[in-house]
Amino acid sequence: MKTIGIILLTFFCVFYYGLGLTYAQQEVKVGVLIPLSGGLAVIGENLQMAHDFAVKEINEAGGIKSLNGAKIKLIYADTRGDSKIGMSEAERLILREGVVAIMGAFQSSVSYTSTEVSEKYQVPYLVPNSLMDAITERGLKYTFRVERKGSLWAKDQIDFIADMGKATGKSARTIGVVYESTDMGQAIAKGIRKWAPEKGLTIGLDEGYPPKTSDMTPVVLKMKRANLDVVILNSYTSDAILLIRTIADQRVNPIAFLGSSSGYSDPSFIKEVGKLAEYFFDLTEWTTDLKHSPLVQQKNAAYKKWNKDNRDFNGGAAFCYASTYILYEALEKAASYDPKKIRDAFATIKITKGPAMMIPWTPIEFDAEGQAKGARMLVVQYRDGQRRSVWPAEIASNKPVWPVPKWEERK
Amino acid sequence: MGGAKVTKGRWRAKEPSKVHCTERYEVAYVIGFIEATISGILMGGLYGFIAVSLSLIFGVAKIVNFAHGALFMVAMFLVYWILVLLKVDPYLSSLIAAGFLFFFGYFFQRLFIEPILRREKETAPLTVILLTSGLMMIIENVALLLFGADYRTVKTGYTGKVWEIAGLFIAQPRMIGFVLSLVLILLLELYLRKTNLGRAIRATSQDREAARLMGIDDYRVYKITFGVGGTMLGFAAAFLVPFYFVHPAVGELFVLKSFVIVVLGGLGSITGAFLAGIIVGIIESLGAQFINSALVESLIFIIFIGCLVVKPTGLLGKQRE
Repeated sequence: MKTIGIILLTFFCVFYYGLGLTYAQQEVKVGVLIPLSGGLAVIGENLQMAHDFAVKEINEAGGIKSLNGAKIKLIYADTRGDSKIGMSEAERLILREGVVAIMGAFQSSVSYTSTEVSEKYQVPYLVPNSLMDAITERGLKYTFRVERKGSLWAKDQIDFIADMGKATGKSARTIGVVYESTDMGQAIAKGIRKWAPEKGLTIGLDEGYPPKTSDMTPVVLKMKRANLDVVILNSYTSDAILLIRTIADQRVNPIAFLGSSSGYSDPSFIKEVGKLAEYFFDLTEWTTDLKHSPLVQQKNAAYKKWNKDNRDFNGGAAFCYASTYILYEALEKAASYDPKKIRDAFATIKITKGPAMMIPWTPIEFDAEGQAKGARMLVVQYRDGQRRSVWPAEIASNKPVWPVPKWEERK
Repeated sequence: MGGAKVTKGRWRAKEPSKVHCTERYEVAYVIGFIEATISGILMGGLYGFIAVSLSLIFGVAKIVNFAHGALFMVAMFLVYWILVLLKVDPYLSSLIAAGFLFFFGYFFQRLFIEPILRREKETAPLTVILLTSGLMMIIENVALLLFGADYRTVKTGYTGKVWEIAGLFIAQPRMIGFVLSLVLILLLELYLRKTNLGRAIRATSQDREAARLMGIDDYRVYKITFGVGGTMLGFAAAFLVPFYFVHPAVGELFVLKSFVIVVLGGLGSITGAFLAGIIVGIIESLGAQFINSALVESLIFIIFIGCLVVKPTGLLGKQRE
């Protein structure tokens, strides 16, 4: 009796294991690290929706063909916006869940630490939205990043200013950079200092203000006195609101104002400052009115119809959506569940078509560091409360207003 | 030595171009500095006004009220909602906010702080610090739960309106807020000097034990002081709302500065706090014209520490035995 029992048990175990294997053959597990609780939960949920939409499309279209139609299964892990939790969650995804690849983690600090975990276990990690340069500058073999490096944002801003000068004949000579003196603001300012001289621009004002500044008037008065042609701003939401109101009060009239995303792209910024934001330029990674591919409008419309809040893609979500497709292409190419082979597919991939082309550059490929080649930023201008793309000219759908009207002449 | 020579040479080389454009720039600079001073005074007046209410609480009752910013935020939200829902002008609804904050302050003291004061029997029990920080977190998080983390601004007839005087732009709501603060400070000073209750408050501020021996009900005085502090805070909130934003964490922007101002002005001195507020405002505004704004904050603290070394009681504080 006992022997039969043991034989049966062994048989059952083998069968169960086999069942598990066959079951695993039908889906590809991919981990997604994003903040789903805490202060950034709203942003995390928005990105989650974009990932889900892409996976729904991929699976409905027959899954990964080179893997006999295997379906992608996303396993979400909440980083709570904490880099340490990001690391432990990455470990859990790899060891417990057995994911073949990871995407995430929105915040630079979390991506920075969690990519090290994936490197250790040799699982590819695709970073859609973190901008910290160092993420791809540590010689990691398994990390790939789609977003433009943060230090190059300033280069794009300077290029934009120079291009506008050429296009309109009204070129800027003196620029100023005003920023909240935290990591991101200082990174932008550092970039401006580096790139401005290359386009013949002089920096007339280089002003960092502390976080939690209660009054912006001193900074704005300094800005006014410096007589600048273009003011580059980098702020969070509350200081962005205070700055723009004070700028309007004090009638500071340069050729243009140029934001660096962050606070100036926050929906509550435009909601609260309303008309004051009109003509304001802002750097961004993506908008819904790009015309480099008809996919932008098609997919955005489909997404808007699918999600329950009728939400448009924002930059972060569009990059998450496209990144899911980059992962899909890599899986097709690798034709394997082996993370190492998937990593090699990422390293040699060259995407020129498919929904990944939501991203405003072709082809999508990664350099030896794992950084997306050709990544670039765009500039939008607020018109009638909408963010309209104005630069680079070949993919933008609107003409920029440059110089912007003086405050006294606005209604 | 060689290095010094080079610097001298450079200085000379710069000289001619400097002379050339001095006159034009000088005018612009002078106007710029006048503008910065005025804006510093206007904003500093409001800092001072916010600090005055803290000065009452901190100076008289010796209560380190970390929840001050949270109370301020409550008042701002009150004014905001009255404006949004009932369309009542902030300067009018400041009366409602002030009245509400009086009772809020009164019962805040009655319910939370008084039991500790009674139990500990000390003049400045440490437990109060923990209690007020805890209350601050509770109030802020409840606000976050109720109103979300959105930044809210209001639109009134004078939001974004400026008076242009000889090339200077002065934002109307800032000027109105400053003038009204000044009036209210004078009224408060009169109240403290001329009424019995005012005298009782000042007496308790100077020596709690002695005041009690003179027959003053010190607990009642504390409650009323907290209430009056709340009233002032309610007014301050209403003056700020037209040109500021409302957010559950908005109080944090002002609370540390208020403590500095109160100590700089002299504990318990109303006029001192107001003046110190203006001084801080001017340092902040004018300082930023010469050095990077990120450094101005430390400049305020350097001057603050310097003042305390020279005069430990603060600007208008009285020496106590």
